[in-house]
Order: sequence, then C-alpha cells, then structure tokens
Amino acid sequence: MAKAEPRSFPLIPVLTVLGLSALAVYNLRTVLAPFLLSVALAYFLNPVINWMESQGLRREAAVVFFYIFVAASLTVVTQQVVPGVKEELTQLNENLPAYLDKVQDVIAAAEKRALRYLPIEAKAAKAYTDSLHGNLLKQVQNVPSLLFGLFPFLSLFFLIPFITFFLLLDWHNILSGFIQLCPGRYVEQTLYLISEIETSLGNYVRGALIVVAAIGMGSYVGLKFLGVQYSIAIAALSGLASFIPYMGAILGAGVGGIAAWVQFGSIVPGLKVVLLFTGIRLADEAFVQPVVSKHAVKLHPLVYLLSLMIGGEMFGFLGLVFAVPAACIIKALLKVGWEWYTTEGYLHIHAPVESQVSPYT
Amino acid sequence: MLRFLKRIFTDPELHKKKVFLRSLELFKDLSSRDLGFLVRSLHTRIYKEGEVIFEEGDIGRAMFVLESGKVELGMRDHAGKSRKIFTLEPGDFFGEMAMLERLPRAASARALERSQVHLLYRANLEEILHYHPRIGVSIMTHLAHLMSARLRHANKMALLQQPPTYG
Repeated sequence: MAKAEPRSFPLIPVLTVLGLSALAVYNLRTVLAPFLLSVALAYFLNPVINWMESQGLRREAAVVFFYIFVAASLTVVTQQVVPGVKEELTQLNENLPAYLDKVQDVIAAAEKRALRYLPIEAKAAKAYTDSLHGNLLKQVQNVPSLLFGLFPFLSLFFLIPFITFFLLLDWHNILSGFIQLCPGRYVEQTLYLISEIETSLGNYVRGALIVVAAIGMGSYVGLKFLGVQYSIAIAALSGLASFIPYMGAILGAGVGGIAAWVQFGSIVPGLKVVLLFTGIRLADEAFVQPVVSKHAVKLHPLVYLLSLMIGGEMFGFLGLVFAVPAACIIKALLKVGWEWYTTEGYLHIHAPVESQVSPYT
Repeated sequence: MLRFLKRIFTDPELHKKKVFLRSLELFKDLSSRDLGFLVRSLHTRIYKEGEVIFEEGDIGRAMFVLESGKVELGMRDHAGKSRKIFTLEPGDFFGEMAMLERLPRAASARALERSQVHLLYRANLEEILHYHPRIGVSIMTHLAHLMSARLRHANKMALLQQPPTYG
C-alpha cells in the first residue's frame, strides 16, 4: 500500500476565520449577548429534550411540554419566594440607618484603637476615617441606581427563553445544516470540534448551574436555621459567586458573618456563619464536585480568575458572564487544533496494538 | 383519538430510523428504547455523487452507516494509482476499525451516487459506553464478532496463497 500524503493544516485560513469571528463578536457584543446566553441555556437544556425525544416524543412536543412544566414550576417557586424577598427588602429599608450607625461606631472605635497603639497623627487618622466613611456612604447611596441599572438585563429574562425555545426546536437542523455545509472530507474533524466544544461548554454550564443551586439552597437552609436576617439575599449572593471556585463560600462567610455579627451584636453568631460556609464548602467538595466535575472541562481556578478579569476588563458585566464559557471554547479550539495539527501531519499517531498479535485460534 | 394523539406527539422519523438500525447486524440486539438513544447520537449527512467521504491516510474518528445510495472503497497501489476494492450497499457500515484505533484509514471512500450516511463519532460511542453500557457492550460485541470473521477470512485467504508465519 502506498503511504498517503499527510494533509497540511490550513493554519492561515483557520486563524483568519477565528480572528474575524472574534472581531465581529467584540463589535456586536451587546446585540449578541442574549443570543449567546440563549445558546448557553440551550446547551444546558438540550440533554433533557434529547432524552424526551429518544423516548419517542416529537421534538416540538418535547420542547412545548418542557416549557409548560418549567413555567408551572416557576410559578409555584415564585409564589413561595416573593413574599420572603419582599419581607427582606422591607426589613433592610427599616434597619439600614441602624446598620449605618453601627458601622460608624465600628469605624470610630477602630480609629480610637489605632490612635492608642499606632504612631499616627490624630489629624491624619481622622482624615482617613472620614474619607473611608464618605466612600462607604457614597457606595450605599449608589445601591438604588445600581439596582435600576439592572433593569435592562431584566428584559433578557423574557428574551432569552424566547430565543432558547427556537434554538431547542431547531437544534438538530442547525447542527445538520452546519455538517452538510462542511466539505465531505472535513466532516469528521468538524464533528470532533463540535463534540469537544459541546462537551466542555455543556458540562461547564450544567455543572456550574448545579453548583450554584446546591450552594444557594444549602446557604439558605443553614442561614435560616441560624436565624440570620436577609438569608435569601446572602444565599443568592453566595450561590451566584460560586461560578468562581471558592468565591461562593468566601463571600457567603464574609457577608453572612458580618450580617450575623451586626444583627446579634456578638461575634459568636458571625463565627457560626463562617463555620456554616466552611461546612458547605466541604460538602460541595465531597458530594457535589465529584458528580459535576467528572466530565467537566478542567480549568485551573487561577484560569477562572484570569478569564473573569480579562472578560470584565474588556466587556464589563457581560464579560463576567461569558468569560469562563469563552475560556472553555478557547481551550477546546486549542486542543482540537493541536491534535489536528499533530495527527494530520503525522507528527503523532496512536500506536497500533502490535506487541501481542498471535494467530487466530 | 389515541391514534390522533400518537400522530401529533410521536416522531415518525425516529420510528423510521429505528426500523432501519434494527435491520443492521450491528444493532439488531438493541431494544426500541436503546435505539432511541442511539439515534440521538448519530449525525446524518447526504453525500453528492462523487463526493469524497474520507481519503486513505486520514485519521479515523467516526464510523459510517450507509442508509441509501452506494459508496465505493478504494486503495492506492504501489504505483500510487487508486484501485476499487469494494462497493458498499445500503445497510453496510464502514470506517469502524480506524475509528477504534484512531489510525490513518487504510482505504478511501467516495459516494458513487447520492448517498445518505449516518456517522457515529468516536466521542459519541464513548459517551454511549459510559452512560448506556448495555448499548455500548452490544455494539462492541458485534464489532468484535465482525473483526473475528474478517480475521478468519484473511487467514483462509492467506492459507490458499501461502502458509502464514507468526512471531
């Protein structure tokens, strides 16, 4: 048999396409945001629809049934959660001046202590604490405007399920159309790329949402048990921060601990909250992570942090949302590109099993 | 009424694909439910007449099941000239060995007419083995039977030409 010519890797066209795509995504980031978020949601939900479909249901019927089920579940959950959130907001509104007074007292006490033990001039210390106090008040005053700033994102909550609905309906058609467009000889490579992206991104999205839900629920139950106020808000903060490894437990322990300390006027409940979040972190490591990260993309926590910082710097809030999924895609592209380059150029080929070949018996 | 509901809610395409897959030796032991999972793991593509499916020497990453049309397998001889070695008919599958070993393919495949081909990508097969081991084991057992039959055939052919030597 004559040895086949190795295929040359089309490096320049691939890099050009990638570069142009990245430029287009950057320029159209605001418009593309709901679409990208919808694709992420569709990745998360697709296995459920696929499972329903494999049981014999028409895809359209599976998607419609699923949406009806989710809408009904959300209605029930909202009815349970909304009164709690309303109560927490009312409490916060009532208690905010008292909390600010307490914070002022803490700053004043710290100032006195610092003056007693440290060789700082009274004037300089006063100026520093005044600026700290001023900054804090400024940030607190900014909270309502920050909340109102989130309203444009609320529209996404209606737009995203709408786009996701059509993506789920046409998932197979989109994929088939894409495969049909590829030149016949490159179908296998294209499928390899799709499967790598699908595996890493799908597993990341599914894993992240499971961790967020588990930590959020665990925090809520624990804080409620300890009698800490604003348990919904703290649990939500801790759950959402869990998108970054370790951050959920750290933020939950920090904010929850301070809230319990201020609420009960003693450090012991604060320490209890810190213990609670340590327990949640350990339980997450012992029970949730082994299930979630079994097939998830392996990204070092520092890569998570770095991608979030780059995403935040380049695209703001949207960058934070898409940073890790983008890192997953880049990792998949690099992996496939490298393997393609090495195998197609015959730089590395899996060794055939030859050492134990014996006659047919 | 039930028939009407069934027509609205069930997928006739899925049923057709299941019937086709069950007719193949490779998947004949799978239940209807298993076939449902398998269909979801297959990618379908239509190749035009003359279109190359893969070339000899390409790294194998998928196996192919021919549902309709005709596919020609060819090999290059020592002079580098392509020679036809086999014509595949609907129901045949090919490319499975290179997929399992991730080695360069030993032959080229080209559609002789408009052909509908289902691709089972290696990662999908691994996923089936992991999440639905019963389906995976059944497929792998049939592949092992097929390999054994080919080896038996190759031994017989070799014996007819010259006695084989091992080691």
